[in-house]
Amino acid sequence: MIEINNLSFSFGETLFFNNINVSFHKNKINVILGQNGTGKTTLLKLTANLLKPQQGSINICDMQAFYLPQKTSYISGITLYEYLSSIFFKQKFKWILSRNEKNQINWILYELEIYEKKDILTENLSGGELQKANIALGLLSGANLLLLDEPVSNLDLVNQIKVFNIIEKLKQLSVTTIIILHDLNLAARYGDFFAGIDKYRNIYGSDKENFFTPEILQKIYNISFSIVKNNGEINVQISK
Amino acid sequence: MIRNKRKIFILILFIIFLLALYIAIFAGYNDNGIGMFIKTLNLSDNDSDSIILKLLRYPRALKSIIAGSCLALAGLFMQSVSKNPLAEPYITGVSSGAGLGIVISVLYFNSSNYSLFGFAGALISSLAVICFAGLNRFSITKLILTGLAVNLFAGSLISLFILTNPQKAQSILFILSGGFNSSNIISDKTLFFIFILGIIISCYFIPKLNFMRIDNGILSSFKKEKDIYTLSAIIISAFLTSLSVFAAGILGFIGIIIPQITKMFIGNDYRYLFFANILAGASLVLFSDYLSRVLFYPLQIPLGLVIAITGAPVFVFFLTKKGDIFSSYDRN
Repeated sequence: MIEINNLSFSFGETLFFNNINVSFHKNKINVILGQNGTGKTTLLKLTANLLKPQQGSINICDMQAFYLPQKTSYISGITLYEYLSSIFFKQKFKWILSRNEKNQINWILYELEIYEKKDILTENLSGGELQKANIALGLLSGANLLLLDEPVSNLDLVNQIKVFNIIEKLKQLSVTTIIILHDLNLAARYGDFFAGIDKYRNIYGSDKENFFTPEILQKIYNISFSIVKNNGEINVQISK
Repeated sequence: MIRNKRKIFILILFIIFLLALYIAIFAGYNDNGIGMFIKTLNLSDNDSDSIILKLLRYPRALKSIIAGSCLALAGLFMQSVSKNPLAEPYITGVSSGAGLGIVISVLYFNSSNYSLFGFAGALISSLAVICFAGLNRFSITKLILTGLAVNLFAGSLISLFILTNPQKAQSILFILSGGFNSSNIISDKTLFFIFILGIIISCYFIPKLNFMRIDNGILSSFKKEKDIYTLSAIIISAFLTSLSVFAAGILGFIGIIIPQITKMFIGNDYRYLFFANILAGASLVLFSDYLSRVLFYPLQIPLGLVIAITGAPVFVFFLTKKGDIFSSYDRN
């Protein structure tokens, strides 16, 4: 369990989060939902220890966090394989990758289904492939807690599904993910646990069954929804 | 595939380097150069040609190599950690510090060894800029702006000194345009050892630039490493640039064009760029030094001018041919 207890955070003088409590589940896909400006990214950054809270505690159980921002830039002139190798040069003295590190890169490329692209230059890769490459970077860095800020918002439907299939696969590799999402149906399909932030920055955290109710969604988004359940699949529709 | 291309490019650069070295040292001799070289290895040989080679041409070639490779490497470091292709080695206030040191040494110490003053001034001013930028949370942007302010400030002081001392204005201007002063053997040896030290330190930090290729937002998860490598790269860059000032005065432009041209051919693997920049930087200065001696013979023109005049067209040519690599800076 990742526990955030009695946390207060302010930007300068303005109080942003006032005494919030939320917990995320290990080896699951945790989804943060909410309107723009409610502090989803701030919550993610607090969890990643990139922002320091004024009060309260965040316990990530000694997991190693990797934060993937919403927008990233990519350096050109290197292949996908070399892009992934970048992470290994973090170590003290390293001129040449070891056999083990090369195997790790190849394995991750294979697992994320981008192995055949390994010799393609980054500037010629698609958005979905680059997003997978970034997730691979996180895994190669040894992180087991991935914090993804809208990882699929620039992708088409097919690539969204592809990236999520990968994220779902990570559960078996004992990787915990916390994802910010805007698409409620994607969230319902892939998420295990949900935390919704309303515009007063109250947090509603619960599992899928209890989260996807018209009442809670209305509190978070201020519009009315209807939930359609179909063979265990949850479909969220906006009511007229 | 791309790796073989890189190796071939470095091999070509090595051949160009040998050619430039040959021209810079042996130009003007009718005799075959290799024979001359072997003759000078014999220390007891004291005919006039060997003495010219030993006392003038060799030290000069060494200084060209040091100036060129240091500036190119310094530019590589700065552009990598700032993720800005316009970042130049002098950005940490090195040029203005060196300029002030040189001007003061010429005006008040009548020193012939003004390069030492330049070196000291460069180191002091760059460390000061780094410290200023470090006050109240360090950032690269702050460093660039602080460097800009210090460069402008000191540049104005230099102009003031020159204007108020018209009798020495000509010689100061000449020195500031870059070139080699008369050498003495002891300082050449010291210079060489500091250079080797600089190369060894760069060797350690160059692969870290491969890590710094990753987007800054992603790197924030590795804040400790990111900050250490950024700061080290800036300090190394300031050190190498100061060293180049020691060797050849203030030479503009090399620190920008050489890293960019090599990147167009090699891409962004800094381990290959390391060798390519040393070779290409050294070749450019060796060749420009040769031109500076022969173009208006017997008049010697400042090396800095030759580099800018030959370098600028070459740079623009490559930029129009292969400039698409810079598109990555514009994306997002």
